Amino acid sequence: MEAVNIQFAPATGTEEEWNEAYARLADYFRSYQLHNRIRRTQLILETLRRAAEAHAKNPARTPTEHSIEQARLMLRDWLREIYRDLNLNDAQIEAAGRLGFYLSGGPARWPHFFLDDENLPADMSEAMRAAVRTSGPGMQVSKMTPREIDLGIVSDVAEDTFDTLGRHPMLRYSILILMVGGVLGYLYLLLR
Amino acid sequence: MSVIGSLTTNLAATQGMPPPRIARTRRATFFSFVGLGTLAGVWLMYVYLSEHGMRWSEWALLAAFVPLYYQLNTGFWTALIGVWLMNRPRPDPLDLWRSLTPEEHEQPVTAGTAIVMPIYNEDVTRVFEGLRSIYLSLQETGHAANYDFFILSDSDQTSQWIEEESAWLELCRQLDAFGRIFYRKRRKPINRKSGNVSDFCRRWGRRYRYMVVLDADSLMSGGLLNAMVRIMEKNPGVGILQTFPKQIGSETLLGRVMQFAQALYGPAFMAGLDYWQCGEANFWGHNAIIRLDPFIKNCALPPLPGKEPFGGHILSHDFVEAALMRKAGYAVRLLNTPRGSYEEGPPTLVDMLKRDRRWCQGNMQHFWLLFAKGWHPMSRINFLHGILSYASSLLWLVFLLLATFLAATPLPVESPQSALAARLLLGLTVMLIFLPKATILLDELITGRVFKSPVMRALTFVSGLLDTVVFTLMAPVLMVFHSRFVIYTILGKGVRWVTQRRKLDSGVDWVEVLLNFWPVSLLGVAWSVVAWFVSPGFLLWISPILVCLLAAIPVAVFVSGTRTGLRFKLFLTPEEASPPQVLGTMRENLDEVKGRIQLQPELERFHGLMQVFLDPYINGLHVSLLRRRRNIDVSRAYLNEIERRLIQEGPQSLTPQEIKAMIHDTDTVTNLHYRLWSAAEHELAPFWITAIRQYNLGSGGPFAHTLARKEPAVSDAFKAAS
Repeated sequence: MEAVNIQFAPATGTEEEWNEAYARLADYFRSYQLHNRIRRTQLILETLRRAAEAHAKNPARTPTEHSIEQARLMLRDWLREIYRDLNLNDAQIEAAGRLGFYLSGGPARWPHFFLDDENLPADMSEAMRAAVRTSGPGMQVSKMTPREIDLGIVSDVAEDTFDTLGRHPMLRYSILILMVGGVLGYLYLLLR
Repeated sequence: MSVIGSLTTNLAATQGMPPPRIARTRRATFFSFVGLGTLAGVWLMYVYLSEHGMRWSEWALLAAFVPLYYQLNTGFWTALIGVWLMNRPRPDPLDLWRSLTPEEHEQPVTAGTAIVMPIYNEDVTRVFEGLRSIYLSLQETGHAANYDFFILSDSDQTSQWIEEESAWLELCRQLDAFGRIFYRKRRKPINRKSGNVSDFCRRWGRRYRYMVVLDADSLMSGGLLNAMVRIMEKNPGVGILQTFPKQIGSETLLGRVMQFAQALYGPAFMAGLDYWQCGEANFWGHNAIIRLDPFIKNCALPPLPGKEPFGGHILSHDFVEAALMRKAGYAVRLLNTPRGSYEEGPPTLVDMLKRDRRWCQGNMQHFWLLFAKGWHPMSRINFLHGILSYASSLLWLVFLLLATFLAATPLPVESPQSALAARLLLGLTVMLIFLPKATILLDELITGRVFKSPVMRALTFVSGLLDTVVFTLMAPVLMVFHSRFVIYTILGKGVRWVTQRRKLDSGVDWVEVLLNFWPVSLLGVAWSVVAWFVSPGFLLWISPILVCLLAAIPVAVFVSGTRTGLRFKLFLTPEEASPPQVLGTMRENLDEVKGRIQLQPELERFHGLMQVFLDPYINGLHVSLLRRRRNIDVSRAYLNEIERRLIQEGPQSLTPQEIKAMIHDTDTVTNLHYRLWSAAEHELAPFWITAIRQYNLGSGGPFAHTLARKEPAVSDAFKAAS
């Protein structure tokens, strides 16, 4: 990555828009757990520089959109370089690569090399690659087929009864009312 | 589909299966006692009722009385035999602990064992901190190499799912346990918990010889896990080995009373159960080790005929799996474990009833299986006892209603024989209810089995008397609710699969208590009025029941409260007095997480969702774990519309289905990450503006929100790399 030029004078967009883009990028890079402020500032300014060029070509999009887009492109290029021999597509590289950087302890160990595709420490690349290689245990598929249980004749009769009652809620509640009525009637007969 | 054979298979191996001669003798002894006790009670009741000949209502009363008395006798003799076993000088020859020599206790554990934890929208912190404690405890034993851990998630709340993923990753990172702890999320939770475990068995079961099944609130020590594997290795005839999980971590009176009762009375009941169940014990669904090969071959559960609640998917799968395992020729054994196996219980009475509602339906389903062909007779008895554990409440209610009716239509008691029968029956019943408890309390006073110090023994005795009050107050309320559950099940009202609450987060919910318990109090009022009209004497006789019903609301609030007597060392358990290391580690870590400053409630509510879209690492993790699908279930236009609403209106504007559709699509999840970060403030919902501003101010690391922060263990690979 080239030395950062502190002077930033975008040809297009308002100061307010670029300030908003700056603030968003600051939050965005902080979400990568990059606690090294100098490195974060370098990254923000480099991204803004690229975003300014992109905005000059396409001012219909906001500087914030261009900034995040540029950050994404920088990340993709950087990860592609690290994972070039792992046979992953772009989407996989992007997802697994971000995770690999975190799992390898990248934010704390190599903050200065984050998104720097010209200086890739070998140990960082290896640690990032090792982190994405870990996956679940290989499946050893077994058949676990349920076998029907012979429930016997009582269950057959009960099943038919419940099935009939289940299909006719009116019948079900009529039987219930008859039963309750019968008990109450019996009580009445005994108590009168 | 093949049909299971109509006979129980011959034993696969004899080691671990009690010799049939001993099993027969034990069962003959036990059921003779139970039968005699039941017969004596029923005879006395008959003598009392039949003075003027038997009326229909008296026959009905007697019919309800028989199963109730049988159940009372079963509990009584189980406990008494248990106390005898605990005190007899010669140890139980069938005790599986004795199958290992002291040298074998130290031998390396070589059998591959999977420790699986099926979860469903559980407290993420509790799940993963529990696993951490088990993992560390195993590592301390030095025999952890052949264990793998599997978190089998069926969670359908999106935020929860994301938090599970990130907690898993962080735990693996902290423990350097990648390749040892695995996380699997099912897209469709077919057949609930049993389906979840079966899915594991189908995919990975052949890799392991044993599987230890845990609940989300389970905790087991490494020492006990190793011992269980060694016992299984030494006893190839055992298919399932069930430990005795003791309740821990309760903070309410109900929870503490339950855990105290379990600690004090549990070992005696466990020993008694082991005495007569022998090789045909029950599986309780968790804290047990299972021999995987016969489990996979024989224990897949077919759906029951008909629709829910009686038919369909088997809810209480554990009893059936135990019966199937026994049918396949393998023993199902209990292992009396005074320490090392733990679980948590429901904190409030309402939570307990919610759990019972589910268990009730599950047990009632076993009605079908009672008459199925080929079960071992003991498996049928286990099913029957499961059914009776809830149906007996309805029988008790019917018994009391019939008693009320008989009191309203009294016939004079003239014969001295009848009066004597009534008095004897009362004495016998009181003895059956209270003697086991009194014996166990006396045993503790004399032997100091639970606590050595005389002061603690005395306090345990007092606590034992007090817990009788609590259980007595709750019993009639439980009777009414369980009766309702049984009737609901018969009427076809099924239950939903809901997450269990295991901690009381924000005090007692009075509204919930009032809404649930007012019918019980109303029943108490109505019954009291009827009893008053019947006769003041009858009112006095039934008043213990009626007082409990009338006081249902204050009792529910009282037992669900946090005044638990801990200050006075009441209801103290050994785990509270000196927590085992596995529990101490977990509690320390839970306290650390609990003590943290929380984000705004809205952000906490959607924390997982916020993280997956804002955090580049969690976004990467989620996309990496999602299975990439060629075709998506919904149209791209539909997803675009949801994306727009999520950005402009916030996550609260989306339905759970919409969130689910979005979160399952890798492209949408990736794109949303960038779209949210690149949107101008005026395009964002207030939720996202706050989230973006506050996100980096939150926890120290993106993955550590739900986990204790511990220094990661550094792997050899990283050591070499650095």
